[in-house]
Formats: sequence, C-alpha cells, structure tokens
Amino acid sequence: MDIVCVGINHHTAPVEVRERFAVSEGKLGEESVRIRELEGIEEGVVLSTCNRTEYYAAAEDCRTAREQLRMFLQTHAGDELHAEHLYEIERIEAARHVCRVVSGLDSMVLGETEIFGQVKKAYQAALESGSTSRTLNKLFQKAFGVGKKVRTHTGIQEGQTSVGSVAVDLAEKIFGHLRNSRVMVIGAGEMSRTTAQSLLSRGARSIFVTNRSFDRAEELAKELGGQAVRFDDWEGVLKEVDVVISSTGAPHAVMDRSHVEAVRRKRRYRPLFLIDIAVPRDIDPAVGEIEEVYLYDIDALQEIAADAKGRRSEQIAVCERIIDQELAKSGLF
Amino acid sequence: MAQWLLVSATVLVVLGGVLGLQAVRVGHRSRWTLVCMLGAFLCQLGVLWVRGELRGKCPLGDYGEILAFLAWSLVLFYLVVGSTYRLSLLGMFTAPVVVIFQVFALAPGMLESAPEKVHQVDAWGETHAAFSVLSYGSFALGSVAALMFLVLNKKLKDHEFGSGLFKSLPPVRSLVDSVVRLTVLGTGILTVGIFAAFMMERNDSWAHLLAAVGTWGAYLVVLVLHFWRGITPRRLSISVMSVFVLSLLVFAFV
Repeated sequence: MDIVCVGINHHTAPVEVRERFAVSEGKLGEESVRIRELEGIEEGVVLSTCNRTEYYAAAEDCRTAREQLRMFLQTHAGDELHAEHLYEIERIEAARHVCRVVSGLDSMVLGETEIFGQVKKAYQAALESGSTSRTLNKLFQKAFGVGKKVRTHTGIQEGQTSVGSVAVDLAEKIFGHLRNSRVMVIGAGEMSRTTAQSLLSRGARSIFVTNRSFDRAEELAKELGGQAVRFDDWEGVLKEVDVVISSTGAPHAVMDRSHVEAVRRKRRYRPLFLIDIAVPRDIDPAVGEIEEVYLYDIDALQEIAADAKGRRSEQIAVCERIIDQELAKSGLF
Repeated sequence: MAQWLLVSATVLVVLGGVLGLQAVRVGHRSRWTLVCMLGAFLCQLGVLWVRGELRGKCPLGDYGEILAFLAWSLVLFYLVVGSTYRLSLLGMFTAPVVVIFQVFALAPGMLESAPEKVHQVDAWGETHAAFSVLSYGSFALGSVAALMFLVLNKKLKDHEFGSGLFKSLPPVRSLVDSVVRLTVLGTGILTVGIFAAFMMERNDSWAHLLAAVGTWGAYLVVLVLHFWRGITPRRLSISVMSVFVLSLLVFAFV
C-alpha cells in the first residue's frame, strides 16, 4: 500500500485561499471518511490548522489516489484553487513530510510545539471514525515517535522566537513565577497588548494601562482585565509594579532616570523589569544603569529572538537526519 | 581513619561538582550531584564522629576539625536548602567551597594526630563552638547564593544569555530570598553561639568573642538595612559576601 499526501499550506497559498479549505476540528473524522470513500483510496486522515490543510491517503495506486484527491479539493474550492497552491507528494516523501510537520520543521515558527497536538487530534479523529487502517496507523504512530525524538534530542524548540515570548522568559528569569508580579503598560498599541497578554497568560497578577488617550487606555484595560490609569498619574503607579511595557508613539523619552530614582526607596529597591518596544525609544537608556533595573529595548529583544531562530535553523540538518534514520528503520518502505 | 574519610568526602564533593558543571553545560539537572553530596555528608559525619571520640568532646579543637565541621555544615545546609531547587547548580557553586575547606583541613599539621582527651566537658563551651561553626555554614551558603545572584545580575544587565549557566541559574527573586533567609538563619544560630560564649567558663582572651560579636553585628546591620529601609540586591549580595570573607580573615588571626 502506498501513501499519498495532497495539501495546501502557508508556503503555497495565501490565507484567503487557505481559509476556504479549513476543516473544523469537529468535522475532521467526517472528512476523513469522505476521502476514504473516494475511488481507489483505502485509508484517510485529514489535518487542518490555520497554516495548512492536508489530506493523507493510503492506496494501491498512487496516481489514481492523487487524481481523486485533487478533484475532491477542486469541488471544495472551485475557481479559487490554482495548481501552484497545491502540493502532491507520495511514498517516502509523504512519510518524511508528515514527520517534518509533526516535528515543527514545516511550521511558520520553526520548531513550534502546537502542531504536534494538532496532528494527534487529526489522527485520533480519523481513527475513531474508522477511516485508518494498518498503513496510516503505522505511519502516524511512527511520525509521533519521530517527533518526540526530534524534540528531545535536538535544540529545535529551544529559546523564544518572538519579542513577546522573549520578554516573558526574561520576566520569569527575574521574578520566577509571575503570580505576584504587577505590570504597567504605557501606550495602548498592538505590541504592548500582545506582550501584556503573554505576561498575563503566565500568571501576572494585575495590570495597569496608561495612554495619552484615556479612552484607549480604558478599552485595553477592559480587554486585559486590568485598570486604566490617566497618563498624568503613571509615575505614581511605578512604585507598585514589577514590569513596565512601554510602546507609545512619543518622539522623545517618556521615562527618564529621575522617574525611577524618585520611587526607588518606596519600592524598597525591588527589581524592576522595563520593556521598551517603542521606536523612537520611550525609556532613556540611562535608566538601565540603575542597579535594580533591567532595561531591554526592541533591538535587544529582537536580537535574542533572532539568536534563537538562528540556533533552531542550525538544528534542521540534525532533525532531518533523525527523520531519515527513523524512516529507514520503520519498515514502511 | 579520619583522614581517609575526609579524603573520601573530598573526592565525592569533587565528583558532585564536576557532575553539576556538566549538567549546567547541557542545561539539564543531574540528581547524581545530590547523591555525591549525600555520600560526602556521611563521610564528613564519620570524620566528626572519629575526632569526637578521640577528644571526648565536640570536635572543634584544631583548625582541621573546624574546617571539617564548617564543610559539614555547608553540605548540611546544601542538603536542607538546596535539595528542592536546582540541585546540580547549587552543587556546582557549593562544591568548590567545600573542597577548599577540606583540602586545607587535610594539610599536614591541621588535624592533630593524638589530641588530648578531656574528661570533663563544659556544655556552654561546646554549644558556643558548635553553633558558631554551624552559623558559618549558613553564612557560607548565603555567600554562594549571593555569588550566583551577582553572576546572573551581570548576565541580565549585559544581555548575555547563550550559556547553559544562564539557563540553569534560579531567578533573581529566588536568589535574593535565599540570601536573606540564609543570613537570617545564620545570624539566629550565631546569636545562640554568642549567648553560650557569655555563659561558658573563660580561659582565653576576649578577642575571639569580640570577633564573633563583630561578625554578628555586621550581619545584623545588613539585615536591618534590608528589612527597614531596603537595599539593592547587588549591595545586599556584596555586603553578605564581604562580611563572610572578612570574618574568616579575622578569625584566622584571633
């Protein structure tokens, strides 16, 4: 029995095309049954995430299976689907592909971990709907084993690759768990919102939002479950918080050394983590010279994220080697 | 017998330190460090038991015994405080200090070969000696935590994150808490030691007691500053380490 994969992903198609192929989690099993009912296809698994929709099939004749899957997709998408959006792979290449997907090597964020669970759910849905048998069961079980091995034995998921995640990791390096940490957001922009959300998701206790437009501050505070503070009053809040995220559109520094010096004694010299993601910078670099202050601007955070990305990229060859070795041992081909 | 046990303890601590270092390099914890330190602790207990039997009292009669007792108390606190958190890393920082103490204790002439056995023991004197040295175990471990903080602080300030050491170091807040707790514990134990010193029969000069009171006072000042008005973590760490090193130097001459 041969293996075929026909799919569409973020490498081949824009989101407006991908979204037409998306299959909701609850319908994955049903969709797997539908492709198994196609002529010449014995087994089927459908994987659908925000970045990809892939149809895996086991068939006696690869060519027929590919044609059937292509026609099936065409009926879904109509005129929207162009040949360049689709990829069709078979046999060992298809097996290598699913191993790469499970290992996070084919993801938009290299090495991300979420995909492992998404593939597991897709396979589970197909298994429960009875659309898998010996070949795809063996393939997916092998892929999960390979994925675990790749993640355990390489550095493919080490470090953080986004500014928000880097900031959260640093906050945890300073404060440990964030349960007792308070956060102040200066400027209600998108970047500060996502960074604050990352901190809250890791347990930050409370959040204050300040902005020149108080309405925007209130809006974001409501969204984050925090408290809005008038822009003239943020200096008073500084003595209470552990983390400050600043991202205003101001053409000059919003916070300088005197602001922090004024509250050091009241803060009892506790560590203060300042994240400046504004350009031009909101926080005077001299603030970072204060002993208990850890100041990181956008360049510093992006450099850390880029280092992690670089280190992950260096691991690709090692991961590919593990995948090839494991597939050679699998007896699938 | 005591020497061989001390050599075994030293070998085990070196092994624990090396395993800890390797664990830090690869970024994973190693429980073997704890096993080595536990073995070393048992060997140290053996040393102190043998020397205690020889003297017929608490084995703090010569520099070798004091250093062995100090190394034992350091490992004791390590096992109590460090076992729940970052075992291998604390081992990596603690092990070299223990090795230094034990190597000095093993130097010729440090352990008297035939110490005089006493037949009457002054309980206050024994309490003073034991609690004073025990407090130094706590102070030493506090200094280790302070050193770890200074290393982490420098890396965070200079934005250096690549090393396994950075990944394995506990968070700033935990390290500062450890420094404070160990200093409070050490000061509390030393308070008992000094109280016992005032109660015991005095045959020697007051210099030793004055040095102990001076050390106690210095730690108390650091703690009062910390709890009363606050002190930056960096200054707290440098103060704790400085008092420890200075007091060791003072005791070497009194």
